[in-house]
Amino acid sequence: MSRISWLRQPHSLQGRLLALVLAVVTGVWLLTALGTWRDARHELDELLDGHLAQAAALLVVQQAKEVEEDERGIDAPTLHRYAPKVAFQVFHENKLALRSANAPTAPMVGTVKNFKIGFETVQIDGADWRIFAAQGAERDVQVYVGEEMSSRASILWAVLRSMLWPMALALPLLGLAVWWAVFLGIKPLRRLGHTLAERQPQSLAPLTLDGAPLEMAPVVDALNGLFERIGLLLESERRFTADAAHELRTPIAAIRTQAQVAMGEPDAALRRHALQGTLEGCDRAIRLVEQLLTLARLEGAVASAMNAVDLRALAQRAVAEIAPKAIAKQQTLEFDADALCSIPGNETLLAVLVRNLVDNAVRYSPPGARVKVALHQQAGQVMLSVEDSGPGLDAADLKRLGERFFRVPGSTESGSGLGWSIVQRIAAVHGLTLQAVPSVELGGLAVRVLA
Amino acid sequence: MRILLVEDDSLLGDGLRAGLRQLGFQVDWVRDGEAAERELRTGSYAAAVLDLGLPRKDGLDVLASVRRAGVSTPVLVLTARDAVPERIRGLDAGADDYVVKPVDLDELAARLRALVRRAHGQPLECLSAQDVVLDPAARSVRQAGEPVTLSTREFDLLQAFMLSANRVLSREQLEQQLYSWGQEVESNAIEVHIHNLRRKLGSTLIHTVRGVGYMLQRDVPPV
Repeated sequence: MSRISWLRQPHSLQGRLLALVLAVVTGVWLLTALGTWRDARHELDELLDGHLAQAAALLVVQQAKEVEEDERGIDAPTLHRYAPKVAFQVFHENKLALRSANAPTAPMVGTVKNFKIGFETVQIDGADWRIFAAQGAERDVQVYVGEEMSSRASILWAVLRSMLWPMALALPLLGLAVWWAVFLGIKPLRRLGHTLAERQPQSLAPLTLDGAPLEMAPVVDALNGLFERIGLLLESERRFTADAAHELRTPIAAIRTQAQVAMGEPDAALRRHALQGTLEGCDRAIRLVEQLLTLARLEGAVASAMNAVDLRALAQRAVAEIAPKAIAKQQTLEFDADALCSIPGNETLLAVLVRNLVDNAVRYSPPGARVKVALHQQAGQVMLSVEDSGPGLDAADLKRLGERFFRVPGSTESGSGLGWSIVQRIAAVHGLTLQAVPSVELGGLAVRVLA
Repeated sequence: MRILLVEDDSLLGDGLRAGLRQLGFQVDWVRDGEAAERELRTGSYAAAVLDLGLPRKDGLDVLASVRRAGVSTPVLVLTARDAVPERIRGLDAGADDYVVKPVDLDELAARLRALVRRAHGQPLECLSAQDVVLDPAARSVRQAGEPVTLSTREFDLLQAFMLSANRVLSREQLEQQLYSWGQEVESNAIEVHIHNLRRKLGSTLIHTVRGVGYMLQRDVPPV
């Protein structure tokens, strides 16, 4: 298992904290033990080496004094059961004069001839020995005092054991204590979890966690921010659905009524009239649904598939498309454009935008009105304007323009009040500026799109 | 029965007018709030069908202002606004019924008849006076259990009389209730219809009050 995948594994915070704390405590403990062991070994070496040197010095002095005396045998008696762990040899004039029972007959270090004062660690019969060699002032007495190294090691181990044992015993207890402390410590987290789990899916009220620690405030704040944004989104969705359903009711009611009239009408001409009304109602409902769908698609739309769009050709097409309607209302629809005006954008969406603007101007201007579509480029800025000589809008209505389904009071044209919402949305997607102001030239409404 | 229809949607208004006419109502149609208020204030309608989202003046404002002016014409609100608070607001503003679009024409007609009946203190589906029983829904009249054939105008006139039984109605009032706009009213039309009604139903039902108008007597006069 690689390290990354281990990190990605879900694991409990409790377990993680517990493991971390125990690992750190054990680590510190082991380091302390290591330090203690080194210290103890150093002190022990100093002390025991001192003893060896002392003993050697004693033996040298002793031998110098007793050198004249008679031979009493060279093997000293073993006086204590620990004695085999220490050994000594005394040489007088290159001859073994005295030794402990466990000492060899040859010098424990080197030879008597090339004698060296001082400490040496050697191997004798497979065991490590610490040897101190000393000699008398006249260089006729050489003394070797040795001690088995393993006895030093066992002292050190004893020291270490006395340290490690309580540690080993304490570790599980410590683990329990840490587990309990962590359990208490992450209680606010668990409480947050429960609170979230128990929430109704539609509940978007802000979370309040009494006594939550400082560290959790960012989480709670972030969650509350999220709830608020989701709430706004849901609210706008809900309003849109309600508005849409509401707006569909009238055309559907018209269709139903006209159909019912047609069914009950004995007169052929009147029945035909009612059936035509039914069809007209269907067309209206279809148009409304299409607008709603356009708007719904635009809601989630981010600028996609942006190409250079020839705005002049596009506006020309839109004007040509709506011209028959204007002619039928005896309106003058004109188009005036500079040379090429090209902006980055989505051609389909921009066409919807321009068509909506021109269609609105024609639709809401009275018969005989003038509608002027102009496209100019000035100082690198492209401006498309649609002006009309219609009734225009007062300040209050200008403000409400763009509210979904807002229809100017008193307007006799059928419409859903969605066109402007669609225009606004497309402009937003393209980063275009949209202005609706009274028209200075024609007296009606002037809508400007700035790119 | 003359009904005022207030609806700004041309297609729906056209359909409702045609449909209610089929069902025997006289229908006048206006498309904005101000016209609706003006017409309601004349008091010449048996009932009104009122849309709420109207140009010039909102339906609820129209309703509240005519109610303040003392107009008691039953008003059925027909709207796309279906939220409960909206319904409550509508009823509180003085609506007698609240119907959400779309509505079945027959149901709308039945509700209008019920409103008119209730407004005249008539709890029963059928109106009756003496031995004459009038069924507004079936547009039929029976006398002593025997069917009587009446023309549309005669039926409407009898219904107007029965709804306002024991009250004197002037000729103008009767004309207002019988004829919608643009219908030619001959000067003696009401007299002719009353004459026909008396011929078909007997002379004890409708009385002439000279110089004032006519009255339908609900109960048989004591002999």
